[in-house]
Amino acid sequence: MPKHTNDRLQGTLDLLILKILDRSGPLHGYGLAQRIHQATADSLRIEEGSLYPALQRMTHEKWLKGQWGTTDTGRKARFYTVTAAGRKQLEEEERRWVTLTDAVNRALRFA
Amino acid sequence: MSPIRRIWNVLRRRRLDEELRQEVDTHLALIEEEERLNGLSVEQARRRALARFGSPMASRERSLEAIVATWLENLCKDFMFAARRLMRSPAFTVAAVLTLALAIGANAAIFAVVHRVILNPLPFADSARVISLEDGMPSRNVPFGFNSLTTQLYYAYLERAHSLESVALYRIEDRALTGQGDPERVQTARVTPSLASVLRVAPMIGRWFTEAEGVPGGPQVAVLSYGLWTRRYGADPNILGRTVALDGVSAAVVGIMPAWFTFPNVTVDAWTPLSLTRASAAENYSFTGVARLRQGATASGAGAELNRLHADLEREYPGNGYSQLVAAPATLIEATTGRVSGALWIVLASVGLVLLVACANVANLFLVRSEIRQREVMLRTALGADRSAIARYFLCESVLLSMTGGILGFGLAWGAIQLLVAFGPSNLPRLTEVRLDGVALLFTLGLVMLTAVAFGGLPLLRSTPIAAALRDGGRGGTPGSRHRIRQLLMGGQVALALVLLIASGLMLRSFQELRAVNPNFDASSALTFRIGLPAADYPDRGRIAAAHGAIIDELSRVPGATAVSAATCLPLVEGCNQGGALFVDGQAMQPGQQPPIVLRRAVAGGFFETMGMRMVRGRSITRGDVERNEPIAVITEGLARVTFAGIDPIGRRVRFGNRALPSGDAGWLTIAGVVADTPVLALGETRALPQLYMPIFAFRQVPLPPRTDAMTFVVKTAVPPAGVTAAARAAVARVDPKLALAQIRTLQELLDRSSSQMAFTMVLLAIAAVVALTLGLIGTYGVMSYIVSQRRAEIGVRLALGAAPGSVAGMIVRQGGRVALAGIAIGFIAAIAAGRLIESLLYGVSSRDPGVFGFTTLLLLAVAIIACWIPARRAARLSPLEALRTE
Repeated sequence: MPKHTNDRLQGTLDLLILKILDRSGPLHGYGLAQRIHQATADSLRIEEGSLYPALQRMTHEKWLKGQWGTTDTGRKARFYTVTAAGRKQLEEEERRWVTLTDAVNRALRFA
Repeated sequence: MSPIRRIWNVLRRRRLDEELRQEVDTHLALIEEEERLNGLSVEQARRRALARFGSPMASRERSLEAIVATWLENLCKDFMFAARRLMRSPAFTVAAVLTLALAIGANAAIFAVVHRVILNPLPFADSARVISLEDGMPSRNVPFGFNSLTTQLYYAYLERAHSLESVALYRIEDRALTGQGDPERVQTARVTPSLASVLRVAPMIGRWFTEAEGVPGGPQVAVLSYGLWTRRYGADPNILGRTVALDGVSAAVVGIMPAWFTFPNVTVDAWTPLSLTRASAAENYSFTGVARLRQGATASGAGAELNRLHADLEREYPGNGYSQLVAAPATLIEATTGRVSGALWIVLASVGLVLLVACANVANLFLVRSEIRQREVMLRTALGADRSAIARYFLCESVLLSMTGGILGFGLAWGAIQLLVAFGPSNLPRLTEVRLDGVALLFTLGLVMLTAVAFGGLPLLRSTPIAAALRDGGRGGTPGSRHRIRQLLMGGQVALALVLLIASGLMLRSFQELRAVNPNFDASSALTFRIGLPAADYPDRGRIAAAHGAIIDELSRVPGATAVSAATCLPLVEGCNQGGALFVDGQAMQPGQQPPIVLRRAVAGGFFETMGMRMVRGRSITRGDVERNEPIAVITEGLARVTFAGIDPIGRRVRFGNRALPSGDAGWLTIAGVVADTPVLALGETRALPQLYMPIFAFRQVPLPPRTDAMTFVVKTAVPPAGVTAAARAAVARVDPKLALAQIRTLQELLDRSSSQMAFTMVLLAIAAVVALTLGLIGTYGVMSYIVSQRRAEIGVRLALGAAPGSVAGMIVRQGGRVALAGIAIGFIAAIAAGRLIESLLYGVSSRDPGVFGFTTLLLLAVAIIACWIPARRAARLSPLEALRTE
């Protein structure tokens, strides 16, 4: 089990990236950033440069696959898709997230 | 998996970074496009993009960090910087690497020898309990371990000695191996079947002998050595059950011993069972034995028990000398490594010390450097380098230095081992197996690590009080105590070098003395080889004598041969000696007095002339004597002295026997001459062993005649002796094509071999001494250079005030010379003490030989002065201006 699962912030970013890529199909870094902003209704603004260490790491872990292609405006970009291993990791992360938020919610309600 | 990919990614870093750059650039461009659509200017869009993205550089950096093993990169970078720093000061680097290479190399080489020869000399299970049964009769000149057991003793030891678990007897014989291929003389050992249980060994193929095969009339079987099996039979796995003929007797091969099994010695190629029964136990002393001690028994305890047994045996078998027989069993390890092991330990200890000194030397060089670089380190510390970064800084250098030193040292060790194996005595166990194996490699690696930490850590300790160093401002205000430590270091290594120099000098002198011993025979240009006549073809003494005569005639016709003769045993050859009690006609034995044990040898005519042995009195044994079966004898001077003190022995009659035979005329030999003593087992024997020579008789002329079926031939040549080997072989084949030549060597080789153990110890000590001397030189030079560098300012002032350069140089040399002299004085005293330890290894030279002490002391003093003089001269040449400016 990769050790960073304990790191909630990184785990959250991983979860977001996996979820969005899984739903949308191949995206490059810029597109991914756009989708994150849309999906979170701009409430979660992240520094877009910080996506890349995560993308590299997740590719290294073989959760993602990167393939070079061209954007609509003809620029070279790497398009990321979720692999089978990535999908399994997504399920794991989602379950963890639900467990965590449930627990926190319950605690907030009864505190 | 992924850590390995991270390490792999180190190599792909450039490509990965390029891809990231492309990706990031596209991303930034896309943001800019988007912001431009929102109506921003080019400049504003760019700023906006950077604000949204963050630092592109940091993003790329962290992305790479996520997938590349950056620790490895940093390590590589650290090492590269360290290598560059070392390259910038080549003098320091060469001195340090050389020092370490010498020390590590010497340690690895000596360790490899010690590991194999002493720590692991016998590959037998629980070998500490195996003892060699070394009996001897000191009162009758019979040395210990000299075929000194009888079969009566065997049964007595086996049945009555409680301290022994099992006992085995053996006798080495060379026999003719015939059938399939050329006939060949091979060394064989007749052994009791119990040998396997004493040594706890088993054949690698097949089986060992059964008890039933060890009784007279039992089946004829043989076990072959791995060497013979591969050499002669091509490692044929179907050899079992086939027969080989040894001396014409067919024996079924039942087993093959593993390659490492070389008992009793490396030359033995086959083992056959010794046929023995309780009833046939006899009284000839012709066997050697080994035994396994019972759990808890000691060799000395067993010795005491065996000596008590000897007293009982004297009552049971009177007159066979058992009461004079002294058992001195030693563990087989002691018996085989014995004298050398002491020397090896001494050498290992001294090279260990040498390594310590080397570390101290390099640490000193390092300190000199680190002091020069104190400012650099301070700067780094001030800029925020933490202690681990500083530690890396120094450790990288020391690891690089010791690794390079280790690799070079390993090469040196390899060379040294070739030298040692070449000089090694053949009786030293497993010496030929000495090589730089995994264990030696591990040992060397351990040394490298240790040295790296030892001298790399020192400057680290020194660099701790940064604040103090800052206060000093790097000025040359060195406290005296540090000088004192350096001088101690320098004096210490001078002392150590002197001890080792003296020890190796003493060995060298012993070696010279030993080689100067007159063996009383002329070893120049003579070829020797042994020929044995198989009993099946040569069943009686008549045929044997005729064959030897015919072989000598054929050999005489070999071109280049000037004289040919033969004897049952040559000087300095083991395994062919036959001894017996000698009685003198008309010399009454006092009650309790025992006749001397004398080595008896049969010779062909002209033996003494061919060997260049000097006749002291009377005449030698001629060809005519042999042909007429003349009952005459030639005795050695030593025998004449012992037995005929003050009387002319010529014309007296002597007779061999186990006890006094009834007097009469039968079997007497008349002494015709006296020949000078020749060494029997080793050069420089403390006592000349008495020997008696008689002609080869064609019939049983005397009681206990020496066995003449195997004889060693000596061919004196006018050409280099090795060149006539082929012709000699052809000459022998003309007499009988089934005969094989064995133990082919020149007399000179025999002589050389007898001093090989001394040569070996000498080479060992010489290696240690050369290393110590070189290190002493480098070390002294290093210390003096440091002192000079620290005194630059003072020297500058002296020169500026008008001191002559010569007097400045003299001052420095005097300072170093005082330390060197102190070291020499200590070394001198230590060498006198150490001399005691090697006393038993010396020959013909006192352990306090003034010549050796004087010469080595002067040599070392000269070396020390040179090492001081070079930095001193540099100091004297200093320009005062420059010296003062650097302050």
